[in-house]
Amino acid sequence: MRLLIVEDEARLAENIARSLRETAAYAVDVAADGEAGLNAIESNPYDAVILDLMLPKLDGMQVLERVRQSGRRTPILVLTARDDKESVIALLNAGADDYLTKPFDLGELLARAKALVRRGKGQASAALTIDDLQVNTADRTVSRNGRAITLTAMEYRVLEYLAHRPGAVVSKKELLEHLYDYNWEKFSNVIEVYISGLRRKLDDGSSRKLIHTLRNQGYVLRA
Amino acid sequence: MQPNSIQRRLIATVVLSQSLLTAGLVLTGVLYTYWRLLSTLDTSMQARALSLAALVRYNDNATGDVYFDDTMVPPSIDPARPDVFAVWANRSGLLARSDIWPSNVELSPGGDQHWNAKWGHVPYHVLRMSNVPILDRVEGPLSKGPQTLSIIYASPTVRLRQQVRAAGIIIAVASLVLLVLMAKFALRGVGKGLAPLQTLAEQAALVSTQDWELRLPEEVEQIAEIEPVARSMKETLARLQRSFVQQRDFLANAAHELKTPVAVLKSTLQSLLQRPRSSDEYRTGLNQSLEDIERLERLLQWMLRLARAEQWAHGALRRNLELIDLNANCEEAIERVRSLARSRNTQIVLSRNGPLLLRGDPEDLRLVWTNLLENAVRYSPEGSRVEVDLAQDKRDLARLTFKDYGVGIPSEELPHIFERFYRGDPSRTRATGGFGLGLAIAKALVEAYGGTISAESTPGKGTCMTVQLPLDTG
Repeated sequence: MRLLIVEDEARLAENIARSLRETAAYAVDVAADGEAGLNAIESNPYDAVILDLMLPKLDGMQVLERVRQSGRRTPILVLTARDDKESVIALLNAGADDYLTKPFDLGELLARAKALVRRGKGQASAALTIDDLQVNTADRTVSRNGRAITLTAMEYRVLEYLAHRPGAVVSKKELLEHLYDYNWEKFSNVIEVYISGLRRKLDDGSSRKLIHTLRNQGYVLRA
Repeated sequence: MQPNSIQRRLIATVVLSQSLLTAGLVLTGVLYTYWRLLSTLDTSMQARALSLAALVRYNDNATGDVYFDDTMVPPSIDPARPDVFAVWANRSGLLARSDIWPSNVELSPGGDQHWNAKWGHVPYHVLRMSNVPILDRVEGPLSKGPQTLSIIYASPTVRLRQQVRAAGIIIAVASLVLLVLMAKFALRGVGKGLAPLQTLAEQAALVSTQDWELRLPEEVEQIAEIEPVARSMKETLARLQRSFVQQRDFLANAAHELKTPVAVLKSTLQSLLQRPRSSDEYRTGLNQSLEDIERLERLLQWMLRLARAEQWAHGALRRNLELIDLNANCEEAIERVRSLARSRNTQIVLSRNGPLLLRGDPEDLRLVWTNLLENAVRYSPEGSRVEVDLAQDKRDLARLTFKDYGVGIPSEELPHIFERFYRGDPSRTRATGGFGLGLAIAKALVEAYGGTISAESTPGKGTCMTVQLPLDTG
């Protein structure tokens, strides 16, 4: 998953980004003002956006409105210092999916961000089940048929993305766009390494294969 | 009704003036009636006196001697109270006297006159006539010549007085009835007339911090007496609303400004605790937290300064006033920003023109100059200069200008720079460490001393801040 944080307070943005990377294994981009944020949202398929309201150049409300006007359905969580009813109502009506008032709890922010991500993918539960495979996004544990499976951080990222969209064909390009933030170099052949790692850990010794490769199309996670 | 009631006072005024009017009316009516009746009486008395004159006859001896024919004396005007009369002839003397003559009354002939008298407890109106010709005509000359008559005729005025009294009573009773009716109408009229005040009070009670508008029905608002009250109430409300909104905005802004550093601090500490970290990581995190707390502390100090400056501006707290020379005061402020200027290789040039004396708290004014100088230095490119000019504008006005050759302020931001927490482009100002309070504090302090502050700026060329302060000329 790949998230964008639009926050002008550099230290706050850095703290949130670090938390998301470390505990949720998300790829995270940071934009320091509204204009940069809007550009980033328009040019990258983020799985969720964390948007501060008081921003230089373009304030959060304007960013929110422009994103929704252009028809993008990216889940957006707004950080605001105001918790009065009117401003919360205005935020939600402008197209925000959720909000959090400053100062907030980092744990709560992470949980809300994860909930937004899975809602955006049409999932409801934090524990994803595909046949006898269990992917628990809350504590990042994976098991198949009751047997715990240990994955590397990148393998987990790939699996989590596929598990959010079971049965759908996910192209290599899509995976690249959602697993790396723009600080990372993107090597397309690296994906194949992770897929083969996953296949070995999940499917070896099992009669039913879950990870399928469709030539020139991408990958599918299904029973 | 409360003792101090407009309604009561108005009605009291109306009733009092009506009472005076009524009294005047009754008096006029009585006097007029008396005068009319008296003149009627006078006429009747004259007529009777003349008919008495007609009863005087010449003797047949052609001498001119006369006698009074008392067989045809006219009846008294008031049949119940006999009139009194006496007739004299100029040669023959007293000719006749009425049968009834009040005792102890001596009357003698004389000039024409009429007066009131009281004889034996009975009031009389008395008429005296002289040179009344004898009406009787005889043929041929009279040896002693003709005579003329003097007549006194007096009639009791008892009945007249009774009539006047009766008329007075009728007028007085009628007036009193009218007075009572009038008071009742006045009560109702005044009550109705004051009803708009009630409306005003009710509408004023509806004004609240949620809804500041004083809504009055047009017919109430256009009443001449209500209109100035309503207008000044509306003006006051507008003023209160402005200051209320300002305070509320300040609170909202202050909350935001305080919440952000707290959020940073909290997230730093929470992310430190999310997993075990190396002692280096902890050290970095703690140092960052310390920086954040220091920033929070500075912000609180600035907010308190602003609150205090605004209190002084409202004259609530004025202390430690002494005679200050603005030149020296400004130089002290320049010393304070010297190290900042040196670090940016910026020169501060002061030009002074004679002493500028002012009564004030030296720290207040140093704070103003320091804020202006810090802004000027911060927004100037390295190696630039800031020019400070002190001059006497008029006899009692000092003008201080702070001119820099920095980035300038965009014209759309210029009207807002003295607002609290206004920062223009936050990414630029946050980098310079400002909270958007320095200019607001400067403005509050300058205004506390009765001065003005204004800014001119050309983006890319520089900014010039001008402060005008009234001097102590005493």
